[in-house]
Amino acid sequence: MLNAHPTGELTEPNARPRFEPRDRESFFAAQARNRRATWRMSVLCVLAAALMGIPLSLIITPLLYGVALIIADGVNLFSPLPPEFWRQVSEVPRFGRVALDWLLQQKAADPQALAIGAAVMLLPGILFSLALWAGVNFIFRRSGTGGAVLALRAREPNPSELKELKLVDVVQEMAIAAGLPAPQVMLIDSPGANAGIIGASPEDARLIVSRRLIEDLNRDELEGAVAHLIGSIGNGDLHISMRMTAVFEACGLLTAVMNAPFGPQSRRILWRMVRYSLLRRERDPQEAVMVADLLTRSAGLEVDDIDLFFDATEKKSRLRSIRNFIFFPIFFTNTAVKLLLWFFSWAVLGPLMGLLWHTRQYLADASAVQLTRNPDGLARALQKLNEEPGEIPGGNWASHLFLVRPRRSGSTFATNAQQRQMLAQAWAASATSASAPMPGNSADFAAISRQVPEIMRAAFAGDERAAAQLRSLYQSVSAADPELAAQFPNPDDLIAARKGDLEAMSRLRAARPHPAALGQAGKQKDQAPSSPETPSLVGFHASLKRRLKRLALLGAHIDPVARDRKAGIVILALSLLLGPFALLGILLLLLLIVVMTMASLTFVVIWLAMIHQLFALAGSPSA
Amino acid sequence: MLISPVVIGIIVATLVLIWLIAVFNGLVALRNRVQNAWAQIDVQLKRRHDLIPNLVETVRGYMQHERSVFDAVTEARAQAVVAGSNIPVRTAAESALSGALGKLFAVAESYPQLRAVENFQILQEELTSTENRIAYARQCYNDEVMKYNTTQSTFPRNLFVRMLGFSTASMFAGMDADRAEVQAKL
Repeated sequence: MLNAHPTGELTEPNARPRFEPRDRESFFAAQARNRRATWRMSVLCVLAAALMGIPLSLIITPLLYGVALIIADGVNLFSPLPPEFWRQVSEVPRFGRVALDWLLQQKAADPQALAIGAAVMLLPGILFSLALWAGVNFIFRRSGTGGAVLALRAREPNPSELKELKLVDVVQEMAIAAGLPAPQVMLIDSPGANAGIIGASPEDARLIVSRRLIEDLNRDELEGAVAHLIGSIGNGDLHISMRMTAVFEACGLLTAVMNAPFGPQSRRILWRMVRYSLLRRERDPQEAVMVADLLTRSAGLEVDDIDLFFDATEKKSRLRSIRNFIFFPIFFTNTAVKLLLWFFSWAVLGPLMGLLWHTRQYLADASAVQLTRNPDGLARALQKLNEEPGEIPGGNWASHLFLVRPRRSGSTFATNAQQRQMLAQAWAASATSASAPMPGNSADFAAISRQVPEIMRAAFAGDERAAAQLRSLYQSVSAADPELAAQFPNPDDLIAARKGDLEAMSRLRAARPHPAALGQAGKQKDQAPSSPETPSLVGFHASLKRRLKRLALLGAHIDPVARDRKAGIVILALSLLLGPFALLGILLLLLLIVVMTMASLTFVVIWLAMIHQLFALAGSPSA
Repeated sequence: MLISPVVIGIIVATLVLIWLIAVFNGLVALRNRVQNAWAQIDVQLKRRHDLIPNLVETVRGYMQHERSVFDAVTEARAQAVVAGSNIPVRTAAESALSGALGKLFAVAESYPQLRAVENFQILQEELTSTENRIAYARQCYNDEVMKYNTTQSTFPRNLFVRMLGFSTASMFAGMDADRAEVQAKL
């Protein structure tokens, strides 16, 4: 990101700041402003959720009525219900018809009947969705965070080591500055630099810090980073995050409930959920993370039980085709729900929540400035972290709670600052030799970590100059740090392997860059990332540019970012060109959703009528 | 249907009462935060007192020729402990202690052997952190006092707070110069 946007370097503190005093904003004012912005965004989010609730309940309500009807019919078979009850039941579709006719055919209707009709059609679905959301929210709030920490393979810091002691001290200092109980600190030995908070409430909040962070940041920067996280805890972001993720989890639960009659996968999710929520005593916190993960993923657009149920590739039998014919309406229902959930989480609710979360981040930045009274520390920390934001293994599900958006690290070797510096120097030195194919710019580590594998490939492909540069790099690295050099392929082996030397090949295979890091990256690839921000059009992390701009207003000595006019014009032209098509696509999608909803409604009603008739037939001989 | 003035009066009175209760509870919470922040300063000063004997013990062997420096630290600490809750004397003593500690670490810079001792490094980190904590505790206290006072003095709460038995708290001032000095030397 830093290379894409010319963000400007931090100037020396004594350099003349570009912002005039009148442009400045006090951190209290900034906090108040962002709190107001949060309110506005949460109102919008609630409106969006309500908007999503209308078509969703149109789909769910008939199903709920269906379940109720089947149960009533079953009961009726054994102990006949009073005719008054059945008269009431027959009223329900009549009111629904009134509302639908008014909506679709613009038929005039009596307002009172219309209101009852709307209530009959929408209320059960809305209440059901709300109950799911509240239930998920309640269940996950009750569970602690220990399991999450376990899943991240975190450890407690070692107070007899100076750097880790420093981290613990800084956390204590910032907690005192915020007037909060100090959260527990957990360290992760991962190659990326990042930090975040997890927890269900301020009381059981924990700070997750990667070891690389305390290597890379100095005390001021560390204070800024920790102050952002503690400020975030103090502002109650954990509660907000809980409620936001609960929306996605409730969507997943809804999908699972709908799929449950058709496949074992959803039943397993439901069963785990039920078991987890009932086991009060031995609630295994790791289970909470697993269940949350399953739920979030079941809301995705992946192949699921219903698709498997109607799988056309299965061999055809008569029983199967009869079964498929009977159950096919549920296919429309399922598709409608999935499309609806996907569309809203991608284009409406997701982006709005993303924007809401941006205001929380700006607020936490302003709180950090209040705590440290040093906007430069946080600004510099953010810049450093954004150069190579670390991914926290296993932390995908909470990625929005991290300081900067976790990204899979480009470099798999040279994890500590000293090694990085040494490698950068060696790389620059290797480029000074004549006819080196790669420029050896030592300032940009991210570029180096891209260039080194590239040159390895070139050398393996037979490029003599690349091999020479690699050999020079290898020599200077192995002179300075043999351990790091062991992670590089020996250039002579590379050339020998190309000629077919088997021993050289096995040696190369042994010298993999950072096997631990590679193993983690490989493991995560099989798993679909399941963070709530994945499906959203707008990321949950505010852009570095905007955060730095706001920090500059609070007094950080950063050159304001020059506006890239050319990029702006290109983006404008592109959006003008593609905008109509995108709009058309969205309209078509909405139309599809409406058609699917109506089809689902029609088929479910027909289906229910048939079931009811069947029950009546079964009941009539005995009655 | 007409609502009689009496009913309106009762509704308004109830609303005002609810508002007063909310104001009172909010102020009590803020006052507790102020008191807690004040107590936190004491906790951190006490922590500094506890760390000093350890520091002196560690340093003594290496800095035989600088007796006056760590004697000053010990003495300032003793004065601060004796002062107890006598605020003006205590403030002066703590300020002197900050200065003496700053000087001690400054002198220690010229003893590379001492700086290499791990125990000293950890003690130095602990004391640096404690100095920071004292400063942050004061900052937090001042922030809380500001919030408390602002809440009290804004209209229309300012008409009622005296009646409810609240009074403004005073800010912590001074000592900032010492803090700047100590930090610069580390």
